[in-house]
Amino acid sequence: MPEKADVWQGTLALMILKTLESMGSLHGYGIARRIEQTSGDRLSVNYGTIYPALLKLEQEGYIGSEWGVSDNKRKAKYYRLTRAGRKQVEREAREWERTTAILARFLAPEERS
Amino acid sequence: MRQLRAWLLRLVGIFTPEHREQDLAAEIESHLALHFDDNVRSGMSPDEARRQALIRLGGVEQVKESYRERRGLPALETLMQDVRYGFRMLRKNPGFTILAVLTLALGIGANTTIFSWINSTLLNPIPGARQTSGIVSLTLGGTVEDPGQFSYPDYLDLREGSRSFAGLMAFAFRTLDLTGTGKPERLWAAAVSANYFDVFRVRPILGRGFVPAEDQKSGGAPVAVLNYGLWQRRFGGDPAIIGRTIFLNKHPYTVIGVAPAAFQGTMTGLRADLWVPVVMEREVISNWDWLHDRGDHELMMQGRLKPGVPIEQARQEMNALMQRLEDRYPDSHFSHKDVQLYPLWRAPNGANAYFYILLPMLMAIAGVVLLLACANVANLLLVRSVSRRREIAVRLSIGAGRRRIVRQLLVESLLLALAGGAVAMLITACSPRMFADFLPPTGFPIVLDVHPDRGVLLVALILSIVTGVVFGTLPAVRASRLSPGSVLKEEGGGASGGRSRARLTSAMVLAQLALSLLLLVAAGLFIRGFRRAQRFDPGFNPEHVLLASFDLFPAGYHGTQGLEFERQLLTKINALPGVSLATLADAIPLGFVRNMEMVKLDGYVPQAREAMDIRSAQVGPDYLRTMEIPLVEGREFTMDDTGGSQPVAMVNQALVDRYWPHQDAIGKRVWAQGHWSTIVGVVRNSDYDQLGESPRPFLYMPIFQDYTSHPIIHVRVAGDPLAFVPALEKTIHELNADLPVFDEDSLASRVQVASANLRLAGAFVGAFGLLALVLATVGIYGVIAYGARQRTREIGIRMALGADRQDVMRLVLGQGLRLTVAGLALGLGLSLVLTRFLRSELFGISATDPLTFAGVAVCLGAVALAACYVPARRAVRVEPTIALRQQ
Repeated sequence: MPEKADVWQGTLALMILKTLESMGSLHGYGIARRIEQTSGDRLSVNYGTIYPALLKLEQEGYIGSEWGVSDNKRKAKYYRLTRAGRKQVEREAREWERTTAILARFLAPEERS
Repeated sequence: MRQLRAWLLRLVGIFTPEHREQDLAAEIESHLALHFDDNVRSGMSPDEARRQALIRLGGVEQVKESYRERRGLPALETLMQDVRYGFRMLRKNPGFTILAVLTLALGIGANTTIFSWINSTLLNPIPGARQTSGIVSLTLGGTVEDPGQFSYPDYLDLREGSRSFAGLMAFAFRTLDLTGTGKPERLWAAAVSANYFDVFRVRPILGRGFVPAEDQKSGGAPVAVLNYGLWQRRFGGDPAIIGRTIFLNKHPYTVIGVAPAAFQGTMTGLRADLWVPVVMEREVISNWDWLHDRGDHELMMQGRLKPGVPIEQARQEMNALMQRLEDRYPDSHFSHKDVQLYPLWRAPNGANAYFYILLPMLMAIAGVVLLLACANVANLLLVRSVSRRREIAVRLSIGAGRRRIVRQLLVESLLLALAGGAVAMLITACSPRMFADFLPPTGFPIVLDVHPDRGVLLVALILSIVTGVVFGTLPAVRASRLSPGSVLKEEGGGASGGRSRARLTSAMVLAQLALSLLLLVAAGLFIRGFRRAQRFDPGFNPEHVLLASFDLFPAGYHGTQGLEFERQLLTKINALPGVSLATLADAIPLGFVRNMEMVKLDGYVPQAREAMDIRSAQVGPDYLRTMEIPLVEGREFTMDDTGGSQPVAMVNQALVDRYWPHQDAIGKRVWAQGHWSTIVGVVRNSDYDQLGESPRPFLYMPIFQDYTSHPIIHVRVAGDPLAFVPALEKTIHELNADLPVFDEDSLASRVQVASANLRLAGAFVGAFGLLALVLATVGIYGVIAYGARQRTREIGIRMALGADRQDVMRLVLGQGLRLTVAGLALGLGLSLVLTRFLRSELFGISATDPLTFAGVAVCLGAVALAACYVPARRAVRVEPTIALRQQ
């Protein structure tokens, strides 16, 4: 079994937002599973941390929630992006790309003439 | 914004309704169910499926807790918990709580009360004016107690030449008779330059202020601005007042404006009923043309500095300008005088001249009272923390952090302090708020009302918080430092109190004794000074003298006619039964009106730049005998010293000593009021401006030599002077039935006005001293009694082992006695160092007055010993068997 990486601090929010952006509305368990799947099972989400993160996003107004019924007839709370959330996804994604691009330059083999 | 929104939601989240908790439980439950379904589908047994779901979630309760923390604000929630717990603890111990809150309330209240005075005087010197911090009061020569004034032509030249001021105005305080509508009334008016209102940025609420054109022509601007109070009282607040004609000194004036209600004039604490242009002076106010006389110094000056101009720069500029005037007009400026500039908070004209020394002094004393209160409450807390050791130990041992304990205890202290602060505001609201409360009723237009405003409230709040931290920190930190194990194992707190705690409480008692002594000494000095001022010999006899004023100018008398009236009146009064002597004078000693004469003295050559202004008064025949001021040599004025006879004058001993030392003054000449007069009498020194002042040169001129239209009648009578008022009025009205008589008062009560600031100080310091005595007594008693109770067991053991009552008594008393002596010694040292700052307010009582020091030390020592004796007696009465069993 390959070692799974933990979710880095601060990236969980972006993953949740991105997941909701591609999946529409989804419940907490579903979001967690989806993140794991998207990572090709290389990430291990501590399911318990999903809920405070969801609450934070909701307080910040990026997502909304309502109770619904799942495919297999379970009652579940469904989350979806708000308009502000959509903008936030873009912003954070851009931010993140820039960060990784900068980091990539540091990690790339030095090219000196 | 998003952050703020989240914070607000979290703030709301503190008060989570039940259903949100259920919501959370349901969401977790649904999560587990979904996960369980998945696990079962992938082939796990139901048990295993549930177990795995729980493992992956990471513990239901932990998730809920971290969720809850995110939902609310944990720091705030624990704080609220602390507050709730604090309230509960304080309620559980009402005796302690009430005592602590009251102590703090008195301490904080002393400060907020004094601060409310500072707020209404030093900080807001001119109510109704805007940005008064840029305004300065100017004086010309003289001293702080006795500031010199400016002449009108000089004022105009200074205003013209100055570059430092955005506006420079001048004014004189005058009395005017308002006639025409209803009963004639005497008003306090300010005769002002036209820019008066502009400099103070006061905009009339009705009509307008003065315009530059109203500064131009002598007698050319018969207009007036009314004080709001006068407008309401006399004209019923009639909005149609603008443009109406009123009669001042029987001269028609047009009302052009009404000042805002708050604005009373530009002298702190004094009210002007109305304002008229200073150019009207000659025509209607004093019938005296000083507007063109550079030698006549009648005006006070105030100015607004241009932004960024330092006061020193303006001072130099003014002095340079003044020097130029002195050089150009040597005839009217034959001595040099410095121009001084004062910010309004310590302006020499108005009440701040007294308050700027007195109030900071009282504030410092109030600060000591608060320190004492803090020491008292800290002590109470220390004592109480001993009985809470068990509780704190339990909390520590089940995992509370020390910081949390400290915070909890500090929150309790803050609650106490805030409650104290709230009661303190009540005390401030009920304290005397009117300066007039400290004065006997007089005709002076004193308006000094203290309104505790938002500033005072803020100070009370800050003071409460600081106080809470000051007295709460030490006990809190100490309480948190105990080791839970040893406390919980301990049965009854040991046989005697802990050594370090004993040291700490001893230090507290020491501090309390020392501070109380300091306060009591200060109070004692003030009270002694006050009593001295009451009995002070001002150099004249103020008892049995009735004063009354009238003004012949508005009544239409002029020159000889008026003089004749005054002579007749004096003769008639002197003939009345019950009158021993009557005279006239243009001013009363220790009044607020001061006359200065610029003089030349026979044979005395002034040094370069020496100011030759001398306090003076015009007095009538028999003035000295009426006032009972002894004549050193020569004679006093008689009915025969008139305009037609040889000009004469009298001087006081101080003038002779200063200018003609070791010479005979009789027969020498003095130049004043434009002519030479021969000295015919030398008079003993008396007080002219302030009680207990150092002797200053004084010149007496005969009142019948130069006519004065508004003299003050001085009548020495047998018995109560005020009972004589009807007879006096009747006599005056026999000569002129329509002449208003006003300001009837006894000289004695006028003299009391002169000690009003001391009265104020005495009232406050006396109250503080009493407070200090109570706080010290309670504090010392509490600590000693507590110490004795703590040692009940030890005493029991001693007695069981054979010590007799006397030994035990000696033990407990000895401890208290040592503390008392040490505390008193410390306090005496402290007082010796600090009371010198009170010297200026003590009326000649030494700041190290041995009687006060000894009296206070003995008194406080006795109280302390009594506080020791009661617990000591109780200690020896205890049955050893009971004591031993006691925890």
